[in-house]
Amino acid sequence: MIDDPEEIFAECKKINEKYNYFTEVGQGAGDSNKGMLNGLYITVKDNICVKALDATASSKILKGYMPEFNATAIQRLLNQGATVIGKTVCDEFGFGSFNTNVGLDFKIPKNPVDVTRVTGGSSGGAAGITALANFRHVAIAESTGGSIECPAAFCGVVGFCPTYGLVSRYGLIDYANSLDKIGIMSKKVDEMIPVFNAMIGQTICSDSTVVDQRPKEFKPRKLKVGIIKESLKGMDSHVEKEITRTINALKKIANVEEVNLPFTFKYGIPTYYLIATSEASTNLAKLCGMRYGIQGDVEQKTFNEYFTEIRSANFGEEAKRRIMLGTFARMSGYRDAYYIKATKVRTLIIQEYKKLFQKYDVLISPTMPIVAPKFEEVKKLTPIQNYMMDILTVGPNLAGIPHASIPIHKSGLPVGLMAMTEHLEENKLFHFLKLVEEL
Amino acid sequence: MVYGSQFTVHSKKSSENFTVNSKLQTPNQFTSEVVIGIECHVELDTKTKLFCSCSTKGNENPNTRVCPICLGHPGSKPVMNKKAFDYAIKLCMALCCKLDTELIFSRKSYFYPDMSKNYQITQFERPLGVGGHIKTTEKLIKLKRIHLEEDPASITYPGEMYSSNYSLLDYNRAGNPLVEIVTEPDIESPKQAREFLNKLILILSYLKIFDINTCIIKADANVSVKESGYSRVEIKNITGFKELERALVYEVTRQKALIKAGRKIERETRSWDSISKTTKKLRTKETEEDYGYIIDPDLCIVDVTKKLTEDLKKEIPELAHQKVERFIKTYKIDPVDAEVMVSEIELADLFEKVSKKANPALTAKWLRRELLRVLNYNNTTIKNIKFGEKELTELITLVDKKTITESTAQKIMEELIQKPFSPKEYVEKNKLAQLSNQAEIEDFCKQAIKENPKALQDYKNGEEKALQYLIGQVMKLTKGKASPEVVNRMIRGLVDGK
Amino acid sequence: MVEINKELIEKVAKLSNLKLTEEETKKFEKDFKEILNAFKVLDEVDVSKVESSFRPFEERNHLREDIVRESLKDPLAQIKNKENNFFKAPRTV
Repeated sequence: MIDDPEEIFAECKKINEKYNYFTEVGQGAGDSNKGMLNGLYITVKDNICVKALDATASSKILKGYMPEFNATAIQRLLNQGATVIGKTVCDEFGFGSFNTNVGLDFKIPKNPVDVTRVTGGSSGGAAGITALANFRHVAIAESTGGSIECPAAFCGVVGFCPTYGLVSRYGLIDYANSLDKIGIMSKKVDEMIPVFNAMIGQTICSDSTVVDQRPKEFKPRKLKVGIIKESLKGMDSHVEKEITRTINALKKIANVEEVNLPFTFKYGIPTYYLIATSEASTNLAKLCGMRYGIQGDVEQKTFNEYFTEIRSANFGEEAKRRIMLGTFARMSGYRDAYYIKATKVRTLIIQEYKKLFQKYDVLISPTMPIVAPKFEEVKKLTPIQNYMMDILTVGPNLAGIPHASIPIHKSGLPVGLMAMTEHLEENKLFHFLKLVEEL
Repeated sequence: MVYGSQFTVHSKKSSENFTVNSKLQTPNQFTSEVVIGIECHVELDTKTKLFCSCSTKGNENPNTRVCPICLGHPGSKPVMNKKAFDYAIKLCMALCCKLDTELIFSRKSYFYPDMSKNYQITQFERPLGVGGHIKTTEKLIKLKRIHLEEDPASITYPGEMYSSNYSLLDYNRAGNPLVEIVTEPDIESPKQAREFLNKLILILSYLKIFDINTCIIKADANVSVKESGYSRVEIKNITGFKELERALVYEVTRQKALIKAGRKIERETRSWDSISKTTKKLRTKETEEDYGYIIDPDLCIVDVTKKLTEDLKKEIPELAHQKVERFIKTYKIDPVDAEVMVSEIELADLFEKVSKKANPALTAKWLRRELLRVLNYNNTTIKNIKFGEKELTELITLVDKKTITESTAQKIMEELIQKPFSPKEYVEKNKLAQLSNQAEIEDFCKQAIKENPKALQDYKNGEEKALQYLIGQVMKLTKGKASPEVVNRMIRGLVDGK
Repeated sequence: MVEINKELIEKVAKLSNLKLTEEETKKFEKDFKEILNAFKVLDEVDVSKVESSFRPFEERNHLREDIVRESLKDPLAQIKNKENNFFKAPRTV
């Protein structure tokens, strides 16, 4: 482990040359406070604002956007003495499950275990650097539909997502406001707990995005665990092997039963994508070459001409597709059948989880049904096939429940187990994750 | 703005959360010559903007009162201003609206350079208030809805709008808190529209949520005439109640002329140009804008609780129309005088304080006629006067008891504006008391008649103007201290008697 | 069932302020057809008695006091298109 800042920056640049994990290596305008996080280095996903470092969300249209403020979550960590060392690459605005949808002129990150494979997305850069960092490090990342847990599973690190609203979204460049959550990646569970506790609590400024409650206390006891039956279908053989072994080991230390989550599995994907793209299409409307980021020549044209020109030239294909899908879903005449309908189905999905949590402490499933695919395999997928890959992760994100992926593979490519608990039960979740870590 | 059709287009199959009960009036139900519906935007008098802590007033240099939130910087998030919320609730209550139980915002998406997020945070599905009314002299104007929304930025041009190569944006105004008030198509004339807006401004100033000196009120209007089968045209960009009447008069005239010339009224949006005093076409209304509304997930729901509304209700003062009724009933003053008394809350308060000790009917007449005259002449307002009920009570009592003439009282009023003093002492000191000695007055009359034989002759020949001249001469001789009525009687008596 | 055709794609693109090439329009038409076909399962869900969830976990009543805070000192620092402290923008007509 290295601990000299100069060496750490140099190491990051070296890793970046081979793996493309960073959009920028640098510190930003940080406070150098003394606190319990002194000596901890954090990378920040590039859709989270850090003063004096570009925040591009890996999109060409935001090149040159330097925020005037630190995201509240980041500010709280800086107040405790953490140091930012760079911004990590992601799918453009978070639009992807493999981190292959980077914006124009951005580089696709490679899996730390096998460079012919994807990192997973959208927080691919964060997962990659977490796996390879040989210094004290956690990655601050973000999940909308699985963007933390998926790359965590593919890269073999722990990826954690708290209750929706517990961490302020102030300073997070929006993908979907009712789904976005700032979370943490690390090698070990213990590394992320103090970081999580520092990120939440009293807010720095008036904030409508935050839930001003604390996670519940948890007294260790034997847990009742529900393994989601529907999630066990369609796993590839390596994933199946690791999952089965882990479940059997768990049965020795917890009460493990099979549970059903049929509604979420059947309707989760369309519900997620309709809500997420509806919100995203309004969030991305502000990106039009005015006031920050990429700017063109404004003279001699009307605003529609200019906006259309800038947007068409600087958004990647997936961004365009999701903007279009979201715009369609809220158009008059379609709004009721798509956007409104999805928000109602979401209520039923949340209810399905809540009903299970009345009986069970933790729900588990594989994080992803497959190991990290090769780049050529991903290229062959159609958009809808891409979206279906999120089948195991959209559920907890729609419900806003705390969840995490923890590596369970003993050999071969990384495999992640996903664990979920009720709202505000992060402490119970951490306890469970540590049990799994020791299996 | 449309007559309720926005709701039916978007929410035919929606759950009850999304339908707003709005009586949709079809053209078949109209009977009046002219049908007008108004949509006003009122800037609330808060210190900060609706969703950020930038100041709403102060530095007028462009882009000096902006922040990441009102500029829509990626990562920034809005937070609702409590004061604006309180003000909007008070307004809804004063206008007798039904209040929603929750405050919920929507995003209205459209691209324009003055929209820093290319969506406006407004209230589409769940306006804060529905229904309600404003009373004008001719009828009760029904309201459709009242809601909160943010103001866009201000656009200017390096030259003329149509010939400039680019535009210039100042975001100081972006994010200012607006309340939008939409009427039913209930207004039947431009004059009624003007009175409606006047009455609204009166309510806003009584509630102290709108400062007429610094806040702006803008209106859009939908106008149609009977002759066209009520085919309506939208007029935008009208500022203030005077311009509103002008714009509406112009548009009604324009439409009627077109019909007379055998042409059709196209459904379109026009803009009021206050310089050329005409309306100009902006765009046709065939394609309704599709705003793709969603609920704004960045703002949390705020409860409109019973306790909150009760607390706020206590802060609502007696409103103008309530005062008028009470003044007429309690003080037995002329209704026209009463309407004037309530036109400003300071005037109403002054009237009541003076009426405690002085004759109310006379007080009302004097405040209406003389005080306002003197204020106008000196280009000032009642807020700036340095005298108060003590001085006015004395003055009006002196007039009531006929201690001084009206003419003397007028002069004293003119002096009071410059600096305060006791009228009673002033009259005593300067011996301004009315001449009450009849013999003295008669002497002066005789003198005037003697000195003006031609006038006397003209009067005898039937010229009334000559009498006025003679009265004027007596006023000069008495230095205005004689009562004109008494002098009039006396001269007639002397002349006719002779 | 909504009719996905070139016209609809062009309409959506216009509303999104995106200019698509012929190729892109064809591709998005195909994508929309596949995606919305897969999403058709939602039609079978009965939501007549269900309220919408606009946030999965909610806290209400966050309001801000009407107190002025400092504005940005130099909002045009990163701006290329500016004139006399105004943001320069394209024409509106």
